[in-house]
Formats: sequence, structure tokens, C-alpha cells
Amino acid sequence: MRLSEAVLFIGFMGIGTTLLLALLWAPSVSINAFESPAAQRIFYWHVPAAWAAFIAFGALFVGSAGWLFKRSEWMWRLHVAGSEAGLATGLMAVWSGCVWGAAEWGTPWDWTDVRLNSFGLLTLLAIYVVLGRNSQPDGVETRDTFAAFGLYGFVLVPLTYIATRIWTIRHPGPVVATGDGSSINSDMGLVLLIGAVSFTVFIIGHMMASMRLTAMEQRLERMQQHLDGGV
Amino acid sequence: MAKALLSLVDVHVRRGMNTVLEGCTLTVEAGQTVVLTGANGAGKSTLLETAAGLLPMERGHVQHDEVVVADADGRRRNSPLTVGVALQRNGMLGGEILTEHLHAAMSMSGHGVDVDPFLKQFKLMHRANDLVAHLSQGQARKVAVLAGLLPAFASPTPALIILDEPDAGLDDASIEILGQWLNELRTMGHALLVATHDERVMAQATHLYDVDQRKFQTTTAPPAGRVDTRTSREVKPLSRSAFGVKMHLRTMMWLNTNAMAGLLTLGILLTLGDFMEELDNLQRMGFILAPTLAVGLCGDPLVAALREERAGVWWRAVGGGEPHAGWIPLAIGAVFTFLTTNGLQDAREIHIIVAGAVLCFLVWHSVGWMQRSTQRLARPHAVFIGLLTPVLILPYSLLISVLS
Repeated sequence: MRLSEAVLFIGFMGIGTTLLLALLWAPSVSINAFESPAAQRIFYWHVPAAWAAFIAFGALFVGSAGWLFKRSEWMWRLHVAGSEAGLATGLMAVWSGCVWGAAEWGTPWDWTDVRLNSFGLLTLLAIYVVLGRNSQPDGVETRDTFAAFGLYGFVLVPLTYIATRIWTIRHPGPVVATGDGSSINSDMGLVLLIGAVSFTVFIIGHMMASMRLTAMEQRLERMQQHLDGGV
Repeated sequence: MAKALLSLVDVHVRRGMNTVLEGCTLTVEAGQTVVLTGANGAGKSTLLETAAGLLPMERGHVQHDEVVVADADGRRRNSPLTVGVALQRNGMLGGEILTEHLHAAMSMSGHGVDVDPFLKQFKLMHRANDLVAHLSQGQARKVAVLAGLLPAFASPTPALIILDEPDAGLDDASIEILGQWLNELRTMGHALLVATHDERVMAQATHLYDVDQRKFQTTTAPPAGRVDTRTSREVKPLSRSAFGVKMHLRTMMWLNTNAMAGLLTLGILLTLGDFMEELDNLQRMGFILAPTLAVGLCGDPLVAALREERAGVWWRAVGGGEPHAGWIPLAIGAVFTFLTTNGLQDAREIHIIVAGAVLCFLVWHSVGWMQRSTQRLARPHAVFIGLLTPVLILPYSLLISVLS
């Protein structure tokens, strides 16, 4: 088993453990504070997925900048891995948020919630980058264009972060790293921590595997070009 | 020593996964005709487009006169020279009128000459007022070549002319005339950079540059050509928005996409019946501006039209950017907001109509910008621009909440 596969496996196991703990062990929330207390358990999936998505979008930004300014093949692979991982975890966060929102707010989406919308846009950007890049032949034009979109998309990350602090209309405020003590109890915090670590390991494994796959695709392309040349 | 009008310094250019130009250094001085030679795929067209400031570079820079017009860091400046360009594709929209295209090309230099003698020599006089779409391939090529040459004939100062296989598709008589014009332009002191495989055009060279070998060699210059007396007059440069508006009005391309999207949205709203009175202000504004938003979300149809014969690329080379719809979205937005308030029997307030016009303008041009951002790709039609448009929900939401 390669290192990337081992890391990915550990991440999967951690995510599975998080789900089990969230469903079977984590304490129930106050029935008075929530419209749908049972649905609150989605939180243990939703928040770590959003956290992992930010790591992936960070990788997308670094990879995009590295390609545009350094012309580094390794950075291009990081761009590819970051966009694919961002797409996967972004969809996990958005989809779980919709389910939770439908149960708690009575609507899966709220167009007036800036945080929700900016995260949704970030995920759409990841879909755009992944699908758009796959529609084009690999080349400097393709890489420059999508790397520029990778940089542009990252503007949405601080916007989303600020949105969590300022525009809390329906969305709850941040539950960790608030600077004024945690707003959740210790058992809930433990499950959330296991979830965050597991998703982080998963996303690192995902990106390592993706970068290896891209390197192999590039090698295959070079070999095909070699054959095209009649050598 | 004559003044260098074009300098490529240590230029590296990649296209696809290949490095096409590697360390290319070339200078073209006033009064020189440099002809590029090399096999197909050697990089002649890449070199010409780089010289026109159209392609990004990995290393090096391109200088027109003493101004760096493009460098490897992505900086771009408008050329201080009059630049005439004829690329491999003709760079014209089918909806342009022949003389209109020539006047547009000349107007970039701020000067114009009478085009009739040129049209007569190229046997195009009877077609002067025809649409480009109605010309044969050979005739269209003649117009494209004239659009590359005329800015220099009109310019009172030394101009830079970039021609990519101008002889392709021309008959023998036209190639002879082209050779005479090239000689005349060189004699006038302009700088010419030409890619060709035709020996009659190659015979006009003062220098040859082998793109494969990166070798520059001097050839026996042809004798100075006769310079005809032409009266150059000052003209107002045609702006990109003026051209875009003219194309929109003439071809009605907005009707097929933007207006239809708006009308369909309005039609759906009207089939819902009389529901406006039950809505709060926020919802009411959302419905009133929905058709206008739909109009804008279709983007600028001119972007797709400019892909025809690489017209957008030609405009970027000679005009510094691509034409756009200008004020058209303002008018269409205002009309649709008015129609919607009428159709839904809501109050026809002027500030709502102005807001609709502004929303349409912002959304239309934002989508247009997104569409243009993918123009460099090998398959710009295949990318998923629509996935980016939900970002425009934000100004829409903001506007309806302000209005309500």
C-alpha cells in the first residue's frame, strides 16, 4: 500500500468513527433550542467537511499561484488535487447543510445568508474548474486560465470567513476558535475534533493520491507524444 | 541606422505543452521588410502574434518603438505605433460592411485615406457596400489584407505592419499588386514583418528570418518602389463600444439570446396570474427584476460572434481590446423592467426602471467578462461558464433588498 492510500484509508476510518460517535455516543441537544434536535447530529459531518474544504481551497490557491508565478509542475498538480478535493468536500458540506437547513429552518437554502451563498459559490467554482479543465487539452493556455480562476476563487475564502463573523442571519456563528471560550460541551467538542482531524487526514490523502494520478497522466501524455513523433 | 520599430528580446512562448519559440530575438527597423521562413509548424504565426502583443510569454519582452508592449510578467501596454495586422484568419465579422471594416482599421491610427483606389486595384469596388458575409473567400482575404496595409498608407509616421500569409487565397494578379504595395510601404519608411511561402512576396524582403534555425540574413533589397501621392486626413478612432453597439443594432444578435430569455421569464410570471398583491415588498421586487436578470445572465452574444474568423483577436491586436455591447444592456434592461411592471400591473416607478437598467448592465458585462476570460482556451465553447453566473445573484439580492 502506498503512503497516499494509507493516509486516505486512515482518513476514511476516522470519518467512519466520527459518524458512529455522532450517531450513537454524542449527547443530544436541548429540545427547546432547536426546531429539529435529531438533525443537529449532521453538524459532526457538516462542520469538518467545511473545514476540509477550506484546506482544499487553500491548496487550490497555493497551487494556482505556484503555477502562474513559478511555472512549477508540482504546483500544477497541487492545483488539480486542491480543486478535486475542494469539489468533493465542498459538495459534502453544502449537501449536508441543505439537509440540516431543511429540517431546522424549513428551507434547504437561504439566499439572504451571505455565508451560505459564498460557500456555495466556492463549491460551484470548484465544479467549474474541475469540469472546465477536463474539457480542455492540457497546455499552458488551459493551465493559465484555470489557475487564474483558482486565485479568483480564493477571494471568496476570506469573504466566507468574514461572513461567519459578521453576517450571521440564519447560520449559527462559529462554534470553535471564537476567542471567548467554546460554545459547545466537551463531549460534543471531542467528536467534532475527531471529525476535523479525520477529514483533514482524508483530504491530505485525497490530494496525495490525486497528485500521483496527475503525475502518471502527465507521464502517459509524454510517452504518447514520444510515440506521435515516430520514435 | 534606422529606428527599430519592433524588437523581440529573448522571447520564449509555449503553446499547448510545447515550447514554440525559444530565445527568439528579432528586430525590424523602419524601411525594412523581414520575411519569416520555415516549415509548417515552425512557429511563424506564433512569432507574428507575439510581435502583435497577443500571446503571453514565458520569458523576454516585445517592444514597439521604445515602449515595451508585452512582457513575461503579463504587463501590457498599447503600442505607440500605428499597427496594421492581417492574421491567418481574416479577423472580420460577417455583419461588417467591407468599407466599414477598412475605415475601422485605419481609424485606430487616427488617420484615413481614400479607399477607392485600393478597392479598384483589388477589383472590389463593386462590393464596397456589401457585407463581409456576402464575399467569396478570396475577396474576404483581400479585405483582410487591405485592413492590414491601409493603416500604414494612412499613417504620417512610420507604422508597423504584421502580415501572416497575406497571399493565401489570392489570385496571381492580386499577389503582384500586393508585392507592389509592400515595396511602396517599405519605401515610405514603414516596418513590415511578413510570413509567407510565396516567392513573389518573399522577393520583397530586405531580410529573411529562419524561425527554425533562428538565423537572420540580409537579402538583396528590391529597388525602391513608386510612392503614390495620397491625401491622409485625420479621423476619430472608432471605439470598441461604438463598434459593438453598431454590430448589435445591425445584426439584432441580442434578440436571439438575451431578449428571448427575458421574454420567457416574463411569460412564465404572467401565466402565474394575479399574485403580486399577496407578496411582500422583497418578493415583489424579486419578481419585477427577474426578467431583467435573465436578460443579463445570457451575457454578451458579441463575445461568441467575435470568435468568427478570430475577429476578437484582430481587435485586440489593433484596438487594444475586444468590442463590447456598451450601453445596449442599459436600454434593454430599462425596457424589460418597464414591460414587467406593466405586465404584472405594478407601479411604474422611474427609480425601479433605472435600477433594472443598471442591474442588466452589470450582469450582462460581468458575464461578458467571464466569457472573455476563457478566450485563450483551445475549446472556449466547452467550458462551463454558466456555473460561475450564480455569483451574480448577490448584486440582484442586494438590489431588491435596497429597493424594497
